[in-house]
Amino acid sequence: MSSTVGQVIRCKAAVSWEAGKPLVIEEVEVAPPQNMEVRVKILFTSLCHTDVYFWEAKGQTPLFPRIFGHEAGGIVESIGEGVTDLKPGDKVLPIFTGECKECRHCKSSESNMCDLLRINTDRGAMLEDGKTRFSKNGQPIHHFLGTSTFSEYTVIHVGCLAKINPEAPLDKVCVLSCGISTGLGATLNVAKPTKGSTVAIFGLGAVGLAAAEGARIAGASRIIGVDLNPSRFEEAKKFGLTEFVNPKDHNKPVQEVLVEMTDGGVDRSVECTGNVNAMISAFECVHDGWGVAVLVGVPNKDDAFKTHPINLLNERTLKGTFFGNYKPRSDIPAVVEKYMNKELEVEKFITHKVTFSEINKAFEYMLKGESLRCIISMEN
Amino acid sequence: MSTTAGKVLKCKAAVAWEAGKPLVIEEVEVAPPQKMEVRVKILFTSLCHTDLYFWEAKAQDSVFPRIFGHEASGIVESVGEDVTELVPGDHVLPVFTGECRDCAHCKSEESNMCTLLRINTDRGVMINDEKSRFSINGKPIYHFVGTSTFSEYTVVHVGCLAKINPLAPMDKVCVLSCGISTGLGATLNVAKPKKGSSVAIFGLGAVGLGAAEGARLAGASRVIGVDFKNSRYEEAKKFGVTEFINPKDYTKPVQEVIAEMTDGGVDRSVECTGNIDAMISAFECVHDGWGVAVLVGVPHKDAIFKTPPINFLNERTLKGTFFGNYKPRSDLPSVVEMYMNKELEVEKFITHEVPFAEINKAFELMLKGEGLRCIIKME
Repeated sequence: MSSTVGQVIRCKAAVSWEAGKPLVIEEVEVAPPQNMEVRVKILFTSLCHTDVYFWEAKGQTPLFPRIFGHEAGGIVESIGEGVTDLKPGDKVLPIFTGECKECRHCKSSESNMCDLLRINTDRGAMLEDGKTRFSKNGQPIHHFLGTSTFSEYTVIHVGCLAKINPEAPLDKVCVLSCGISTGLGATLNVAKPTKGSTVAIFGLGAVGLAAAEGARIAGASRIIGVDLNPSRFEEAKKFGLTEFVNPKDHNKPVQEVLVEMTDGGVDRSVECTGNVNAMISAFECVHDGWGVAVLVGVPNKDDAFKTHPINLLNERTLKGTFFGNYKPRSDIPAVVEKYMNKELEVEKFITHKVTFSEINKAFEYMLKGESLRCIISMEN
Repeated sequence: MSTTAGKVLKCKAAVAWEAGKPLVIEEVEVAPPQKMEVRVKILFTSLCHTDLYFWEAKAQDSVFPRIFGHEASGIVESVGEDVTELVPGDHVLPVFTGECRDCAHCKSEESNMCTLLRINTDRGVMINDEKSRFSINGKPIYHFVGTSTFSEYTVVHVGCLAKINPLAPMDKVCVLSCGISTGLGATLNVAKPKKGSSVAIFGLGAVGLGAAEGARLAGASRVIGVDFKNSRYEEAKKFGVTEFINPKDYTKPVQEVIAEMTDGGVDRSVECTGNIDAMISAFECVHDGWGVAVLVGVPHKDAIFKTPPINFLNERTLKGTFFGNYKPRSDLPSVVEMYMNKELEVEKFITHEVPFAEINKAFELMLKGEGLRCIIKME
């Protein structure tokens, strides 16, 4: 690998030229890493709903051509100036949000919203010089979330890379760099259900099932899944779900149904859909006196969260979380260890696998709602 | 005192015959305590806004005639059947909410909302037989929040009495049985500011100043008071408030003003007005990543709390509290100890004192917005 250090690399990338159109495998040029940057060889990547949302670009200003992808596992190829924490050969998970370790947020034990490197969906270039490291025939191709993992090589800020156990199988743990950790952390770090408690999970996609996995690990006695799609219930049993509620089956608001099932409300709820009505239900279904609701799913900008203040005055707590409250560099390696220790089960999240040249199939599966996680294998 | 045990007592009480009309000192009969009840001789009581609110009875129904009062200190005169934790002569604080020690809430570390004895503003009778212990010429006079302390003697459920240090001065600690503990606990038990942190307090009445006192005890470096009345600021300095904002002085929302003053937002906020806009401001003024807002003040029943969800997703926490999350029997005695240890200062909350016969003056002072707490001396 050392022969490519300091040089432009030519490799394959799945380029999105236009919103909503299939990605095209192109040969691109990847510039060497600059100050505080790292060039990473991606071995495995997976598709997350956030990639799809910005690829469709329905609601926001589109930035094309762009290389999407932010859930992945790779190996450091070379490092830029100022990088001391990583070296070529290290196994890493790129993360769509970062940890500079110097700002107030990084120094706080409670926050993971780094002032410098927190998620930025608008930015398509590197912080150092405001330019991209990808190009094709001199035409710049925009980055996505500072990761752009739908490429054999990518360039990422060192603060956005988690250095993980070299024994960890990248084709499994790549999925821990976004959705699954988001759900898992929402439960383990934020909701913190006690052993024997009851938990309601709203939304049984990958994030919700990961939240359920967290409840299982915490020893919850009842994990109630709420989803509009009954076909999800069977799959969800593998993740510890004990009961299911489909709001469509009831005339009354789902929070009332849950309150009846649980003698006053659940101890904890985790909301993983982003639907504002589900968020309100998730809050109003927790028990007074001690209930905690955690909001994970990201809603549309215009929706307002609304509730009667009495629901707060009778000692319910409402929290939100971002990336499961995990600090990318400090905490994600420990999540990988949970998998290595066999506490956390990851294989059950992986339902499909395709080669890089078939990456568009991953989009199809997700758009049809057929998959949890589809692994894209970079090497043929 | 033992000569009165088991007998009806005749004594003076301040009876509210009609909503909003001055109380009348009457001779009333107080029946002996039944099962799980205690008859208490009240020594000192104070007026709290909640008494006023239900006495005015503007927004909701209230039963009349009624004996109000729920902030007080007293001595046990006699106990009913099955009462083992208290004996005649014990010093107690009656509390408007209770602790049965048996239900899921009492058993939870986190809650103080006892299923059996939690605050009930509608109920005007005792739980045991659904009747009142007060009467005049056979006509029942209704209880208020299970305490009815505007009477020389009252009957209270044992679960609503905190047994306190007999050395504690009753004319001071009576104010700890509601408003000040509500505010203090909101900060110390729920917001839990760290030493050196910044705290915003909305509403600088007795509850807000109780919350500010909590922030002072916790070692907050900045305690920012928010109130429409500039005159409250001077008083508030005694309670550790370091800066003052009057929202009327600004065209932009007060949460933006606070965020600018604090490089992104305060670490903790405590909302003590019950005004719904203040509640929303109190939430939106805390820092993302780690900020916690605690709602204390009770709004009117049609109010809706509304905020963009991003404010949660960027790691702000919103909590509510009731009676400072203190369990009445288990925790209130330790609040009295905080005063006895000279950690907590109570005298500064007491701005007036009147004899029982002049109890209506306490109402006048509160209606005019004058003073913090007025002690009503029974003897």
